[in-house]
Amino acid sequence: MAVMLLSRVAERIYWAARYLERAEDTARVVRAHTEMFADLPRQSTGMWRPLIAVVGGGAQYDARFGEEVSENTVVSFLLSDHENGGSVVSCVGAARENLRTTRETVPRDGWQALNDTYLYVNVEVDRGVDRRARERFLGRVIADSRRIDGILASTMNHDEAYAMWRLGRAIERADMTTRVLGVRAAAVLSAAETDGEHRRYDELQWMGVLRSLSGLQMYSRAVRGPIEGPAVVRFLLEHDRFPRAVRALLREIRRSLNDLPDPARLLDEVDNVDAVLRDSTADGIDGAELDDAMDALQIAIGQLDRLIHDRYLRLGV
Amino acid sequence: MAAPSTGPWDELRDGEGHPRPAAAEILSVVDALGIDELRNRQAAAAADILTMGITFTVYSDGRGIDRAWPFDVIPRVIEAGEWARIERGLVQRLIALNRFIDDLYNDQKIIADGVFPADLLHDSANYRPECKGVHPRFGVWAHISGSDLVRDADGTMYVLEDNLRVPSGVSYVLENRAVCKRAFPEVFARQSIAPVDSYTEELSKLLVSLAPDEVTNPSVAVLTPGIFNSAYFEHSFLAQRMGATLVEGGDLVVTGDGTGDDRVFMRTIDGLQPVDVIYRRIDDLFLDPEVFNPESTLGAAGLMRAWKAGRVAIANAPGAGVADDKVVYAWVPDIIRYYLGEEPLIANVPTYRCLYEDERKFVLDNLRELVLKPANESGGYGIVIGNRASDTQLAAAAAAVRDEPRNWVAQPILQLSTAPTVVEDGVEPRHVDLRPFILTGKSSYVTAGGLTRVALPKDSLIVNSSQGGGSKDTWIVDLGAGWGQY
Repeated sequence: MAVMLLSRVAERIYWAARYLERAEDTARVVRAHTEMFADLPRQSTGMWRPLIAVVGGGAQYDARFGEEVSENTVVSFLLSDHENGGSVVSCVGAARENLRTTRETVPRDGWQALNDTYLYVNVEVDRGVDRRARERFLGRVIADSRRIDGILASTMNHDEAYAMWRLGRAIERADMTTRVLGVRAAAVLSAAETDGEHRRYDELQWMGVLRSLSGLQMYSRAVRGPIEGPAVVRFLLEHDRFPRAVRALLREIRRSLNDLPDPARLLDEVDNVDAVLRDSTADGIDGAELDDAMDALQIAIGQLDRLIHDRYLRLGV
Repeated sequence: MAAPSTGPWDELRDGEGHPRPAAAEILSVVDALGIDELRNRQAAAAADILTMGITFTVYSDGRGIDRAWPFDVIPRVIEAGEWARIERGLVQRLIALNRFIDDLYNDQKIIADGVFPADLLHDSANYRPECKGVHPRFGVWAHISGSDLVRDADGTMYVLEDNLRVPSGVSYVLENRAVCKRAFPEVFARQSIAPVDSYTEELSKLLVSLAPDEVTNPSVAVLTPGIFNSAYFEHSFLAQRMGATLVEGGDLVVTGDGTGDDRVFMRTIDGLQPVDVIYRRIDDLFLDPEVFNPESTLGAAGLMRAWKAGRVAIANAPGAGVADDKVVYAWVPDIIRYYLGEEPLIANVPTYRCLYEDERKFVLDNLRELVLKPANESGGYGIVIGNRASDTQLAAAAAAVRDEPRNWVAQPILQLSTAPTVVEDGVEPRHVDLRPFILTGKSSYVTAGGLTRVALPKDSLIVNSSQGGGSKDTWIVDLGAGWGQY
């Protein structure tokens, strides 16, 4: 069978998947932190600032809000801010726009589910910023995103278009895991080294990290031990069966690439990401080193993304 | 023409206000529901349309906005016997029009025989000399057409215009049905209402039948101008239903240099793959910058070479619009008689051609009683309705007619028929037209019914969705034994 997937369509599907994953992941991070901060004794508003770094919106945030880091400002920025291209409302809108323009390829039920999410998010997002309604709002965004995955998995031909969808999902997810770890874990680790007062809440904070990636329960099942920084980091990077662990995601990326035409060059690049991943945990996991290692991993993933574009998504452009 | 004394014909009720036989069932349900429940069903339908993402795009402030498709829940009903006659008339009309187009680009016998004036052809904005000598398969140029039908006060159905270029609306025929089935499941269960869903299957078969001879498993593409086009939803819908690839101009590449190996390809993730049939939804002038508008990025350079070399089929064929012209329209009855030796089965609205001095004089003397139409505009733009225009507007129209008489035709003001519609104050009659879609290839196919468009403001006659019109599902209701080999 000839491959009948247009490059332009492939690109839109890839980005629809990335944007939807980004919306889901941001929702998850906000949800986990809302929950975690409720348990912490001193509610310093500065605690919310690292969330901005997780989604990579630091420069824009500083330019627009400066020192202002109240919960409301940060959460609005992450959820309902149309000017912030990484906010949940922007990502869902971008995912919908990409899928709207590939409706001939993606099953109709999938498009309708995403359209439904879009309509919901646009009506409810301002209420969702409010702490009382936030859990319900974020839960719906996360569940909808999972539901759309399920619809595609069970109703779409598992062809090149579907491989693009999975690839976009996995790349974005791997990137997000490194970001959560890089920013949050590095902050926790360095605080743990310097500040005895914080140590008491270490476990809570690592639970927050796991929850940000929906990994608490699976961590407990896999590790069967206490929640400790190094073990959490290793789990989120190296576990090969936890679907948000980077190693497992590289496996998913390889599987998706194998469903696409002539992926050899890209599989080499995945090996390269894998090598960076191995290096990242080789010399222990101290705060600053982990931060640097996650930067290196993000750069390697970024390079893979660029090669995917060159190989499949920008043909003849 | 009927005397305009009795008021408009209503599609669902007779002059006494009694339900017409085919509409009795739906009207009894509508009456029994009462206005509140009817509004509930209208609201549920609107919600369905929103979540199903059935949209059309309007332009405002230079950007396209995706709007929910406007739909009225009460269907328009036509009795099957009447529809069978209309269907035969449309098939006849399109066969004749295609013979006419093929003749114009080849032997021009109709001109030689003095039936159609040569100077009309040369003045036509839609005549493409670049297409001379091409022989598309089956001699068919306008494969997909949408003729607008209106019914006058005496009940006569007229063809108002033929859309032979890129008529749109058929996706809404199918979607309206899906929504209407949810709104009135009880009526669908009890009545024999002709299904509309097979259109995309028929279209797909037609497109495949056009593929070049040497191709065994043709690759079909729908060519769209892109997401900002008002009909993008439809382009996407049709591609999806047919399993065709939806392409934009930038996805296409034509190889060769006019020496015979000109072939159309699309850019896939695995390199270039051939395209054998293109259902194009962009106008002729944007198709190929080598031949037409050199600035166009909507088409692909070399398409016309590949088409002329027979390496790709294009539907509708470039140049098909020559017969989609409000001046040519006036000749359609003669065209049918000339090619088929038959009388037209469906009526043309009497049309005055301003390029003839006597007809122009009549038009200028009777502007108040006529509708003045520009010969080559669609979408309801530029129309002047005599009895609704101000003196200034009429004077401007008269000047325009004198200035460029060929650009104008005029027709008597028809009393567009009405159908009951849910509006602010309850259920009231609103004016409707009907656009059936006709497929012409080796054989012909007509949609069961078509797109009923409704002018929502009271007394308005403008049904175009780009100008605030709505739509209705159209039911062909068989009161006899069922559908059989329809």
